[in-house]
Amino acid sequence: MRDWLHSVRTLVWKDLLQEWRSKDMLTAMFAFAILTLFIFNYAIELSPVNRAEIASGIIWVVMVFAGTLGLNRSFTAEQDQGCFDALVMAVPDVSAIYFGKMLTNWLVMLFVSILILPIYSLLYNQSLINLGFILILVLGAWCYSAAGTLIAGMTVQTRMRDLLLPILLFPILMPVNMAVVKAAGGILAGAPLVEVQAWLVLLAAYGIIVTTVSIMVFEYVIRE
Amino acid sequence: MTLAIRQVTKSFGQHRVLDALELEMQPGELVCLLGRSGAGKTTLLKILAGLLKPEAGSIWFDEEQVDYAESHARHDIGLVMHQPFLYEHLTGIENLRFYARLYQVADDAAALEAALAQVGMQRYGGKPVRAYSRGMKQRLTIARALLHDPRILLLDEPYTGLDLQGSLVFNQLMLEQKKQGHIVIMTTHDLSHALPISSRFAFLARGRVAEDLPNRELSLDTLENWLTLKLAKPNSEQQKVAA
Amino acid sequence: MALLLVLAAFAMVLFYAPIEVNMGLVQKVFYFHVSAAWVGMLAFLVAAVCGILYLNKKELKYDFIAFSAVEIGLLFTAIANFTGMIWAKPIWNTWWTWDPRLTTMTIMAFTYIGYLLLRRGVDNLEKRARFGAVYAIIGFASVPLTFFSSRLLRTIHPTIFGADTGDMAMTPAMYQTMAASIVAFTVLFAVLLWHRSILTARETEIDTLRAKTETLEFGEVQDD
Repeated sequence: MRDWLHSVRTLVWKDLLQEWRSKDMLTAMFAFAILTLFIFNYAIELSPVNRAEIASGIIWVVMVFAGTLGLNRSFTAEQDQGCFDALVMAVPDVSAIYFGKMLTNWLVMLFVSILILPIYSLLYNQSLINLGFILILVLGAWCYSAAGTLIAGMTVQTRMRDLLLPILLFPILMPVNMAVVKAAGGILAGAPLVEVQAWLVLLAAYGIIVTTVSIMVFEYVIRE
Repeated sequence: MTLAIRQVTKSFGQHRVLDALELEMQPGELVCLLGRSGAGKTTLLKILAGLLKPEAGSIWFDEEQVDYAESHARHDIGLVMHQPFLYEHLTGIENLRFYARLYQVADDAAALEAALAQVGMQRYGGKPVRAYSRGMKQRLTIARALLHDPRILLLDEPYTGLDLQGSLVFNQLMLEQKKQGHIVIMTTHDLSHALPISSRFAFLARGRVAEDLPNRELSLDTLENWLTLKLAKPNSEQQKVAA
Repeated sequence: MALLLVLAAFAMVLFYAPIEVNMGLVQKVFYFHVSAAWVGMLAFLVAAVCGILYLNKKELKYDFIAFSAVEIGLLFTAIANFTGMIWAKPIWNTWWTWDPRLTTMTIMAFTYIGYLLLRRGVDNLEKRARFGAVYAIIGFASVPLTFFSSRLLRTIHPTIFGADTGDMAMTPAMYQTMAASIVAFTVLFAVLLWHRSILTARETEIDTLRAKTETLEFGEVQDD
């Protein structure tokens, strides 16, 4: 177990260092997110009445689409340089590779969303700096990353690569979409955390189930 | 450490690549695998590395059957393949540090510098791998494979990309590995460089070791002639096409 | 073949048996609608189970069965959705609602499509089977989560009127018809599955042989 955690930590360190040097994922996601926010700002008029719900919807949609850019890139290094083989030989279990990637994707997604929130607040003149809201984003990003890492591990090895990821990921992600938008919308509208707890439970359940299934199944994505 | 490959069989679909293959190796031996393209050399290396599972047969280290699910078995193996296994945006030293940490061996600057010096890369450790030439990447990946001091080395075309200097450095390293009692299995087309360091030459055909030629003062000409004759023998597939 | 016809006839015969309800003739669609939806779900279960079996045993036949199940399941799910819409329009005066069952069925249909596209994108037989299995498993795991989240959605927004089929009073004769209809559809599914699986196996064999002859023609030897 200690070995497993150690290898996960090493993998995450490597991924974050790679990402920091290349800034591939970060710049793409960030640029995409900002541009999409601008488009939304132009397209949707927000009255004080519907602000709360629409805000959560916009932020989450932006994250979902920007997230696919990040996911697509997260496996390219291993795929192009053939590193999977070397990793499989070194780690105690293949699940460590999945978990390490998943954590990296989660952290990158969170980082981007932290950057986005103030910009949204600026554009829409509405503060999103709200603990409950951020908690929901953190949970949502975890669920997104859990499912997305598994699927991206597969799609990066297919012919269609980037194109296939949204098609495969989005149906699986529907519960998360509903939960995040509704819960976050509720929080912004002023409801206390207790009221949206059903959604939080759903997110937690999704996170646990998908992470567990992925850990068990990821081996078959990498090895023959 | 001894290595024994017993009755290993592997097919891809209908095509049987390895057919009850047998091979035994003593400590300090370097076996050079030769054969036509598609003879199964890379497949055999992958099976030995634990990356592929054979349908039948087993691998034995020191008279104990290997369980590739155990990481300590896998940590006894070093692998060099056609792909470099390197991360382009990290420096040479950082790549080594990553693998050192994964294998839980010394990852301090001194140890890593020593690993680089082993392959003559001590001046380039601070540059990102992106900037390396093919030969430099090959040297680094060899250093990477040796980092955790494996007792079994599996090398697929290790001379690829290496210049004359690099090949000599590599040969020197292999002689040291043999002296330490480690086992090396390598595939190559570069007979002139392989000759001074190989203990035996194993020719793979029809899924088996068709001939095992010990290196007793062989000259390069003798070796090349032997190989030419072996490659010229038709196998069943080519006979079908000719017909 | 005879089996197929007999059962289709059986289903038709029962058409005459049930008494008309206050909803009128349109209500008869209900039997096929529910049966088709049931088969859609059953197909997904079969695909997921075959996925697990394949990953365990590595026998390609499980992949063929799973693929056939998904194809047929997609067809039946489409039928379920269309019959549902035919029924819904006169009753509720709307084509679409966020009804939990409808939502889940539709998401399932998208997952099916994703599965088929994923398989299309992989040329290697063994990898295709592996990836199909993984996606079938994760897809199936997400179905209950999708269902619960869309149910949660509805309890919070009860503005959609009367979407529960519980509004209908069911007489014993109707229960019988329903049961018979479901059984008929299930047997139909089994027969279709059987034939389609064998067909898929043959198709794959032909493709493999064709690829082999092509390489022999050019005198190329397969790579290591």
